[in-house]
Amino acid sequence: MLTFIIKRLAVAIPTLLILVIFSYLIMYAAPGGPFDSERQLPPQVMANLMAKYGLDQPLIVQIARYVWNVVVHFDFGPSFIYKDQTVNDIIRQGFPVTLTYGFWSFVVATSVGMSLGILAAIYHNSWLDYLAVGISVGAQVLPNFVMAPILVLTFTLWLGWLPGGGWQGGQWQYVIMPVIALSTSFMASISRLTRSSMLEVLNANYIRTARAKGLPMRRVIFRHALKPALLPVISYLGPAFVGMITGSVVIDIYFSTGGIGIFFVNSAINRDYSVIMGITILTGALTVLFNLVVDILYAWIDPKIRY
Amino acid sequence: MNMKAILKLSAVAAVIATAAPAAGTHPVTGEKLSDNQTFTYRQLDQFPTLDPQMNEETEGHHVIRDLFEGLLIQDADGNLIPGVATSYEASNENKTYTFHLRPEAKWSNGEPVTAADFVYGWQRAVDPANASPYAWYMEMASIVNASEIIAGEKPVEDLGVKAIDDHTLEVQLIKPLPYFPMMTTYSTMMPAPRATIEKYGAKWTDPENIVSNGAYTLTAMVMNEYQTREKNPMYWDADNVIIEKTTGMIINDVNQALTRYKAGEIDHLEPLPAGQYPALLKQMPDEAHSVPRLCSYYYAFNQRPDAIPELKDVRVRQALSYAVDRDVIVNQILKGGQWPSYDFTHIKTAGFEVPEIDYANWTQAERDAEAKKLMQEAGVKDLKLKLIYNTDENHKQIATIIAQMWKQKLGVETELQNFEWKTYLDVRRDGQFDVARVAWCADYNEASTFLNVLTTDNEQNDGKWSNAEFDRLMAASATAEDPEVMYTDAEKVLSDDMGILPIYHYANTFLLKSDIKGWPYNNAENNWYSKDLYRVAE
Amino acid sequence: MLTSRTAARSLETAEIGPAIEGRSLWADARIRFFRNKAAVAGLIVLIFVALFALFGSHLTPWSNEEVDWSVLGNVEEAGRPSIATRHFFGTDALGRDLFARTVQGTQISLMVGLIGAMIAVVVGTIYGATAGYYGDRVDNIMMRIVDVLMSVPYMFVLILLLVVFGRSVLLLFVGIGLISWLDMARIARGQTLSIKNKEFVEAAHAIGVRPATIIRRHIVPNLLGVVIVYATLLVPNMIIYESFISFLGLGVQEPLTSWGALISDGASQMQYGTLWMLGFPLFFFVITLFAFFFVGDGLRDALDPKDR
Repeated sequence: MLTFIIKRLAVAIPTLLILVIFSYLIMYAAPGGPFDSERQLPPQVMANLMAKYGLDQPLIVQIARYVWNVVVHFDFGPSFIYKDQTVNDIIRQGFPVTLTYGFWSFVVATSVGMSLGILAAIYHNSWLDYLAVGISVGAQVLPNFVMAPILVLTFTLWLGWLPGGGWQGGQWQYVIMPVIALSTSFMASISRLTRSSMLEVLNANYIRTARAKGLPMRRVIFRHALKPALLPVISYLGPAFVGMITGSVVIDIYFSTGGIGIFFVNSAINRDYSVIMGITILTGALTVLFNLVVDILYAWIDPKIRY
Repeated sequence: MNMKAILKLSAVAAVIATAAPAAGTHPVTGEKLSDNQTFTYRQLDQFPTLDPQMNEETEGHHVIRDLFEGLLIQDADGNLIPGVATSYEASNENKTYTFHLRPEAKWSNGEPVTAADFVYGWQRAVDPANASPYAWYMEMASIVNASEIIAGEKPVEDLGVKAIDDHTLEVQLIKPLPYFPMMTTYSTMMPAPRATIEKYGAKWTDPENIVSNGAYTLTAMVMNEYQTREKNPMYWDADNVIIEKTTGMIINDVNQALTRYKAGEIDHLEPLPAGQYPALLKQMPDEAHSVPRLCSYYYAFNQRPDAIPELKDVRVRQALSYAVDRDVIVNQILKGGQWPSYDFTHIKTAGFEVPEIDYANWTQAERDAEAKKLMQEAGVKDLKLKLIYNTDENHKQIATIIAQMWKQKLGVETELQNFEWKTYLDVRRDGQFDVARVAWCADYNEASTFLNVLTTDNEQNDGKWSNAEFDRLMAASATAEDPEVMYTDAEKVLSDDMGILPIYHYANTFLLKSDIKGWPYNNAENNWYSKDLYRVAE
Repeated sequence: MLTSRTAARSLETAEIGPAIEGRSLWADARIRFFRNKAAVAGLIVLIFVALFALFGSHLTPWSNEEVDWSVLGNVEEAGRPSIATRHFFGTDALGRDLFARTVQGTQISLMVGLIGAMIAVVVGTIYGATAGYYGDRVDNIMMRIVDVLMSVPYMFVLILLLVVFGRSVLLLFVGIGLISWLDMARIARGQTLSIKNKEFVEAAHAIGVRPATIIRRHIVPNLLGVVIVYATLLVPNMIIYESFISFLGLGVQEPLTSWGALISDGASQMQYGTLWMLGFPLFFFVITLFAFFFVGDGLRDALDPKDR
């Protein structure tokens, strides 16, 4: 297992390098640059800006220089748009925010989602099943840009219980609504995946045997059925977790949380090249890492899986 | 008592001392003031910078105006009043300006504000190494050697601005510029604290590093969330500053912002959700406002050599313009007090006289009839147009409605194409359109800021409309005694040739809590200063 | 040797599962599907929505782009759903008939949802099963490609598509297809890792059945349950995703519309007394998704050979 992990981490480096080059190329090829605006800058001013940020260099030099700075100095460069900020500053500020609400969303989504899924599977085709499916479908079909305003109208304007937005260092009042809005659709997906794979496992011969032997239901579920049923759920959770902690732009837009999601979208819209690259690398590294974690979990769930 | 405690106590004492007027009544009007002298407003987006010389947009300018003070500032009506400079005089045929700085002006660290701080700031603005996106502002101000320094041909020390002594600043211009004093209110021309900038580099504007000379100092800043500025006790006029703390809250979604306004979380919300001004005015008559905003919304016709020939026919352009019912757009879609426009320059621009434009006074039925007639005369049938706009609810609605008007009245088919912003700029500059949405906002309160855009070789003239008479008038106006007459004539030329299709002149719609007073409703450039605001007791 | 190869070939071509009384697996599944009340109800709803999309435009005198000038400017009052004005669902903020727009938006969004899900199922399943079955280096390379594609700033890919190929509805599906299969590939691959150690796969492998056949015959059928359920989860994401693609200018253009656009327009008007603008499109979105979910579950149950 250890060699497997080392091998995979070694592969991560060329993977990220390819990601950097690929992203840089498509970003560069896309129309519009960081300094374009309604007012077209005079050529001299534009030339000075290009020179300051190294955009006057050949593409290959730019990429090489970028990779060098990242690898050797862990310096992701200055933001092209936010003149007083570096990419490191932006990630340092935004990532902890997103990590916090993302983590709690993950906890809520997995615990509620899996419980609902398991209940629905055990009481297959009963009213409990339909209720669980109903709840999860309801949670899934309300897009979070519909849910967010409803939450704020309800809890801020009518009830006056929670502040309508902001983060304030992550005080609990500010965390609740983002977590509800972010976790619901993930929760729904998890519950439905759990339900379906649980059903499949419950119908497997060894479970039938165990039940035929008269083992109590609860023991059958938790001892024998749960672990194998988790497999597809875990496949889903890897990317889902990355999705949650690299941020949902909808959450940042509607709740002014200042997480990484809004930076990612704004940087793409503004063509803030260095910020785009920084967040892309962050996302890439997390994706690789969590897919490794998922693979390790596979081996734990099903010891027959070898790499 | 240890040192720290003493410091704390004196800080408390200072707060109490400065807070004294807040607890009482307003020194001028005598209104009873609230105990809560804070002001919270909504920002649409995170501003890019708080460095005055690097700033290039309004959201940041609102904050910078509170943190830094330039030579001159504006009052509630947009008139120039003394800032750091108490007076100035022009000499040498209006090509030399001498500003006299008040000796009591201080930075927030207690250092005096000197003429050298202005020289340093202005040099930063043109320094190629600094690469300010607003360097062109110094060129436009006609300061001696600004262009050469930006082009890297001369060192920054050659800029035509000198500190005669600590409190006298002399500026040399290459040509007389009547609106030069007005330009000193913008952030590019504010002073800069040299020692702080050299110590911290780009991070000098962080709350823990920043040194500023305005009525407020920056105390907290979280990107894409909020930032606060608090009263600067070192400010020369601190005794008359009433608002203790101003907070900008970044709320991207305007409907969300409205909910939070109603919940009492913010005192000021601008702009209002599209089309909601009348309804909000009915709900909150004391809080909803609409004031002019010096921007003009229009459609550019593609006049490039490779453009479709129909649009080169002035009759077709006129027909397309006549068929647009601007009253419908202004009164039934935007509904925010905008003005239907038949000329380019915003009608509220200072000194500007709108020319006599025939079709402005016709009824819409007359316009429609004339439009149909013109189309027939031009012999144009089955015209198909490609109309481009950047993705936005308002632009989409206006484009949809205009396309319908053209279709129903003239039988013109319009293909609508939207793009995200930067792609849009690229496509428009490339001329891949027949008709394109454009909006232009004034840099300063004078008609030339609009009209220059449509001169033949202007970079912003994306439709590439070109008219020799128009160009001649604009060139002549730059040195004319009375340029306003020429502006009016130029507008007439533009209108007769229908070089663009004017649609409406902007208005700023906003909500402001009724206990906040001192808002500069008549400042056409929307330059508000927290130091002029105050909250009255309910 | 020769005999074993023929044996393997005949095994390849043999029907899977014994046919009880000559009834095929598929017929069996069909019967089981139609015994599931929720699934049948879902199917009926889907048919109803499809009919609405196809023939709804004949039920209203309005087209999806025509502006009702008598309503414009006073939509809160005059634009309400009403039989008298023939605006059965009311109008949108511009006075265009919401019924006609919902009909037309349903066409687009149903297509987006179905095609997106189909691409995800086909590409994702095959890709994931292949990676999982071969394992080791092949798996590592194929999955790292997925990692890269998941992290690339997708907006620029879409903008480049727009710039290079111009706009068309076809490109919308390319854009949707490009992203929809990635998660599916991961899930299919995870399941495959486990399935390939099962006795029946090892047996097939031992007697020399070709890998492609093993994947087709033994792996993919066992993936179907999870794949179908996950595909139904993708549908709402695709439908919402379409509005982002259209924001960039790649997808549906005015005056055409879609559920995503209608719902987000309606949601932004939520506070202003025009709830019908959100309500009607959202209603169709919700019932369709419910239907998809129940049909998906029904299919899963029906195709699970152990579930009787």
